[in-house]
Amino acid sequence: MPAPKTNRVFMDGVWHENPVFRQVLGICSTLAVTNLLRNTLVMVAGLIWTAAMANVTFSLLRNATPRRIRIMVQVLVISTYVIVLHLVLQAYLPEISRDLGPYVGLIITNCILMGRLEAFASSNPPWPSFVDGIGCGVGYGFILIGIAVVREILGFGTVLGFPVMGAWWTRWTLMVMPAGAFFMLGVFVWACRRIWMAGEGKEKPA
Amino acid sequence: MIDFLLAILPSVAFLSLMAGVLALLLVIAEAHISNYGECKIVVNDEKEIAIAGGQSLLASLAARGIFLPSACGGRGTCAYCKAKVLEGGGPLLPTEEPYLTDDERKENVRLACQVKVRNDLKIDIPEELFNIREYRARVARIADLTYDIKELRLELTRPETIKFKAGQYVQLRAPKYPGNNQEAYRAYSVASPPSDNRAIELVIRKVPGGVCTTYVFEHLKEGDEVVFNGPYGEFTLCASDAQVVLVAGGSGFAPIRAMLLDNPEELERRNARFFFGANEKRDLFYTDLMKDITEKHPGIEFIPVLSRPSNGWDGETGLITQALERRLENADGKEFYLCGSPGMIDACVAIFTKKGASDDAIFYDKFA
Amino acid sequence: MSPPYTPLVILVGAAFTENILLVNYLGMCSFLGVSREMKAAAGLGAAVTLVLSVSCTLNYLVNTYVLMRLDMLHLQFIAFMLIIAATVQLLEMIIERFSPRLYYALGIFLPLITVNCAILGVCLFMSIRNYNLAQSAAYGAGSGVGWWLAIVAMAGIRQRLQTARLPKGLDGPGITLIIAGIMALAFTGLAGMLNIR
Repeated sequence: MPAPKTNRVFMDGVWHENPVFRQVLGICSTLAVTNLLRNTLVMVAGLIWTAAMANVTFSLLRNATPRRIRIMVQVLVISTYVIVLHLVLQAYLPEISRDLGPYVGLIITNCILMGRLEAFASSNPPWPSFVDGIGCGVGYGFILIGIAVVREILGFGTVLGFPVMGAWWTRWTLMVMPAGAFFMLGVFVWACRRIWMAGEGKEKPA
Repeated sequence: MIDFLLAILPSVAFLSLMAGVLALLLVIAEAHISNYGECKIVVNDEKEIAIAGGQSLLASLAARGIFLPSACGGRGTCAYCKAKVLEGGGPLLPTEEPYLTDDERKENVRLACQVKVRNDLKIDIPEELFNIREYRARVARIADLTYDIKELRLELTRPETIKFKAGQYVQLRAPKYPGNNQEAYRAYSVASPPSDNRAIELVIRKVPGGVCTTYVFEHLKEGDEVVFNGPYGEFTLCASDAQVVLVAGGSGFAPIRAMLLDNPEELERRNARFFFGANEKRDLFYTDLMKDITEKHPGIEFIPVLSRPSNGWDGETGLITQALERRLENADGKEFYLCGSPGMIDACVAIFTKKGASDDAIFYDKFA
Repeated sequence: MSPPYTPLVILVGAAFTENILLVNYLGMCSFLGVSREMKAAAGLGAAVTLVLSVSCTLNYLVNTYVLMRLDMLHLQFIAFMLIIAATVQLLEMIIERFSPRLYYALGIFLPLITVNCAILGVCLFMSIRNYNLAQSAAYGAGSGVGWWLAIVAMAGIRQRLQTARLPKGLDGPGITLIIAGIMALAFTGLAGMLNIR
């Protein structure tokens, strides 16, 4: 099929087919790391990089891979890049690496990556696949950053470690606990879906 | 660069070794665990066959020369392969449930493609199925009917003749070939009349990625030997005085052609009208044949319906359901025969029912 | 070296105070997807528990006696994934052979579980916290039970929700996440009861 236009591919990843609120993928790490904006930014950068690289690599391999071992090859490709990412983080940002804990490793099982490799990179040329990886990463990223900003401000009164709320603010500790993460994500998904439905509702049913 | 490669060499070697060991363990495990030993299947209380367990009942019977009909190749979607499993079939599976009525369940009717042979079985199948044979034939001719439909003429070698009724189908075997490492059978209606009993003709439409159609379109050559079994099916012309309405799309033309060539006088007597649905002019085929038949038998009408006609088309346009709606006044005294995709058939059946047709006047052959 | 908790404490702790789904956010994707219907939820939960118990134990063995000895700890991710994939395939074979009934109850979920983040996550947590063999087995089993509990509870609630009228855009993942939040709140009440880190 003709290669899709780059712009469309990117916007699909960011909004129309946003992995978090449209496809409901990659939720695990979304909830886990969004209690601090600093950790979130590192995670998002890591995921964008891994998604783009894995997409490109698998797209280059797509015609050489027999059908039977496709999933194994996908897992191997993603794992390799995640291992590299993990080692880089351990070396240059050890504190953040400790905070993120196993969730960097869990990028391997992050449904977004496996899903995109199967749905896009397996049948598209390298450049659109690369863009798609970046698009999905950005789509995932802006939601995470949105949630993290809210959680950190309400929960700690800070943004990136800098106090913004002043001494009068009683911290909403609930926000940095798991319950808060679920609530925030639920509300975000709801809000995004409403906006999306309003925009697209005329074209296609939700 | 060399340093880098040397540095990652131990890791790569370790992982390859680990993957290899695990794969080996799994293969050994499969050989021992999934080994069901030899199982005995008693058929109709008269025939006993022995076969290694582990395969579906459908495949196991086929391996011993008993062929149950199947249009979907064992995927569990056509429900043609029903058989009574009296003993040893295990619990009813969720994949079988939608296709069995309560009465059938009480009688232990199962889908043979879903029942796995793990132990001895006792089954009951219709007697006619014993008459289904395996045939070997030589490809006498491969002709292009359209850009994605081919006609195959297969001349029988062993046995030399075949007895069947117009409208029945056979199951063609697609062997292993590069890109496909498992044999499969696919059902195709016979397009030639029973009077031509030393050969059969099939109409095959290319299905992208399809196991059998890829075999036919890319690997089969004139002179090759093929294997098929049959004949199957009850999609044949009923003996009655009712007017006949024939509806087909794509390769669904095949059984209709068999009927037209077999007994055109009967069809003329019954004012047969044949609606053929296609997208564009280039999807039409056998137009010369139909011209010939309608000239010799003016009582038969051929109505091709194009949904995307180009300029210069003066026949019916639109979807086949729209044409039927327009041309069919009511369903009184008519019988309807349809062959095509499930979607097309369901839509047309709805139209006939709306016009007053009863269920036993509608006959169809759905491709799964 | 390994923390001083008995396996029983770890088992109960993993199911309740450190519920892998409601506290550690693992296994969310299939949780959101499969929690609509009770039968499917129970089946998937059982399958996850089984796979977790077996693979956590196996991964402990591989981690301690292979990866550490050969100084290949950096390959932990891939090694664990390979073991998990092999475990799932082996379990599928064994269950199909010895209990067709069980196979049709939960066997169809098994291939999905290979890429379920809960499995890899639990194994990684086990490695980070330096559990010993008994503790790893208990942690795997307890985590599975906890996940099973959460998904079955969610399925029960969602089945009741079917007759409720929800604001547009909220049904599906939206409301499920909010309900999960309330469940997480409930489980927070158990926090501090047992420490297994």
